[in-house]
Amino acid sequence: MGEYWLPFSTLAEMMGAVPVVAPKMTRHTLEAGAHVSPEFVCVPFKYNMGNFLETLEGDVDVIVQAGGGCRFGYYGEVQDAILRDMGHSFELVNLFEARSLPTLLRDLRRVQPGVSYARIVRGFAVAWRQAQAIEAVEDFVRKNVGFERERGTMDRLVAAFLRELRPTRTLRGVARVRAEALGALAAVPLDKPEHPLRVGVVGELYVLMEPFANCGVERKLAEHGVEVHRFITLTSLVRSGLGGRKHVRHALDKAGPWVTYHLGADGTESVANTWELMNSGFDGMVHIKPFGCMPEVSAMSVLQRISREHTFPILFLSFDAQTAQAGVTTRVEAFCDMLEMRKRRHASA
Amino acid sequence: MAEERRIGLPRSLLYHKFHTLWTTFFEELGWRTVTSPPTNRQLLERGVALAVDESCVPMKVFLGHVESLRGRCDAVFVPRVESLIESEHVCVKFMGAYDIVRNTLPDLPLVTYDVDAERGVHERASMLKLARELGAGPLKARRAYARATAAQRAHDVEMVRLQESALEARDPEAVRILVVGHSYSLADELIGKPILDYLGSLGVEVLTSDAIDKPKARELSRRISPTIKWTYNKELLGAIELYREHVDGIVFVVTFPCGPDSLMAELCQRRIEGVPIVTLVLDELQGEAGLRTRLESFVDIIRAKRTIAERARAHA
Repeated sequence: MGEYWLPFSTLAEMMGAVPVVAPKMTRHTLEAGAHVSPEFVCVPFKYNMGNFLETLEGDVDVIVQAGGGCRFGYYGEVQDAILRDMGHSFELVNLFEARSLPTLLRDLRRVQPGVSYARIVRGFAVAWRQAQAIEAVEDFVRKNVGFERERGTMDRLVAAFLRELRPTRTLRGVARVRAEALGALAAVPLDKPEHPLRVGVVGELYVLMEPFANCGVERKLAEHGVEVHRFITLTSLVRSGLGGRKHVRHALDKAGPWVTYHLGADGTESVANTWELMNSGFDGMVHIKPFGCMPEVSAMSVLQRISREHTFPILFLSFDAQTAQAGVTTRVEAFCDMLEMRKRRHASA
Repeated sequence: MAEERRIGLPRSLLYHKFHTLWTTFFEELGWRTVTSPPTNRQLLERGVALAVDESCVPMKVFLGHVESLRGRCDAVFVPRVESLIESEHVCVKFMGAYDIVRNTLPDLPLVTYDVDAERGVHERASMLKLARELGAGPLKARRAYARATAAQRAHDVEMVRLQESALEARDPEAVRILVVGHSYSLADELIGKPILDYLGSLGVEVLTSDAIDKPKARELSRRISPTIKWTYNKELLGAIELYREHVDGIVFVVTFPCGPDSLMAELCQRRIEGVPIVTLVLDELQGEAGLRTRLESFVDIIRAKRTIAERARAHA
């Protein structure tokens, strides 16, 4: 999922285990995964299965799965059943019940039984900082790559950053690599207007964090001269997951008059962020989700009303195993053209 | 009060489980209940028009029912549920129902209550709160709730009793099938009823996952799936576990694209052995012909297998 393979690998290694990283996603991954998945299960399940199949071809002892407030919490048992029926043998470590940091660390220990808690905690701390560093770098790139003078500069810097980050094993090491990368990125020459188009991307967590699953929608937006903002990250999710109901209450507050009760999973947050950004003068939002994702379908009822009543542009995209790039490219292009025209019209008015 | 006060009950979703509770409750509080008609094509079409495309069929049907009550009542009742039992969850659609309706039909007056047992928000307290919002005094509210729950319990017990006696009065020649599906599907005029009626017309004895002892079912569900958390899906699994050795076949009625069912049906196909299972996935475009063909073949196959087994026994 995105570049998170890196901190997960670090955590595994610092616990004394050997990480097996799934190969980069391709259409084959998705097709193989979809082939063994229930027909209308949400697409992250299919991607998971694709990744599992591609790694189980090698020598894998343990698979780790997590959970959330929707079907995601039930993935583990069903994926386990499907993979075993196919003849694979492995141990499934299911983190879906972890509600606090101590229980999470205790459950993680099943990956490498006997490892000391000190090592788990150290590994977790370094991996956490690595994840945050990746998120900080990606956030900067998302907001600025659309304006780089020389195309490809930032991508090269990010590739170098990941190479440097991979071997770090101390908090200081991570901090150093992060500072260097952000410094280098800040120095990249930009042709960025004073008031660029600003678009937020919200929706379901998996398709938000895995560019392959969303057909690179964030990059496509950026390339139309947009400063892209996205809020859901792995660390934000872990923090809200472990923080109990506080996060939900905060999201309900932020969502203002539109949502009375929690919609489930990331649904409330989708509305909350949209409402907040609309009021901050953002030009539009893109809402992305897997086909059939029910909490986001609930959010859409609300978002469609906000869009209608406040004439606020929202592009709704749904992803499944059949999505072709061209459809997304055309719709993003049309959306950005429309935002540009609106902006010019408001400016001249 | 000169004018009669009316509460609208959409005949959809949780209505099929709780209508006795709700009608008793509201009528005890002095409100007349107005219920939408059984689902018909027009209602479905209105629901499809109002709902987000990817909504599940039951939610689309629900919106059609809600809208049909406009002008026929003072407020439409749309409850919101997240968790009925601690450590369990219900489908996210029940979490969103109130806000979905509120934002789809903003001009429609609504009343609601919220149940979230996981967070200590229990049905009794929530219903008493609603009673007070409707102007009832605390004594009247408590009495209304007590009578309503008693009536609902009696209704549920009766449903189980009827099915149990049907089980006992078995005709050994008849094919017996367990139809498994959410109550709002099985009881729906357009979704489940045609299936139940058609099976009946084939001479099949039909048992449903709805008319069972629910707490017992939830306990039994662990034998099939230890980690499933949806209360209603636990009931479905429990029904399967309860009846699997007493039926000749199981028919799963799944509406597209139901989240919990998409996973539960998969697990059942893999884990339930010894009884044939067919899964019917219904969307709002369902033509009856296709459905009938599948049901007919399923029953034919069961009858054929039985005949073969009988002949084998006769020869032995």
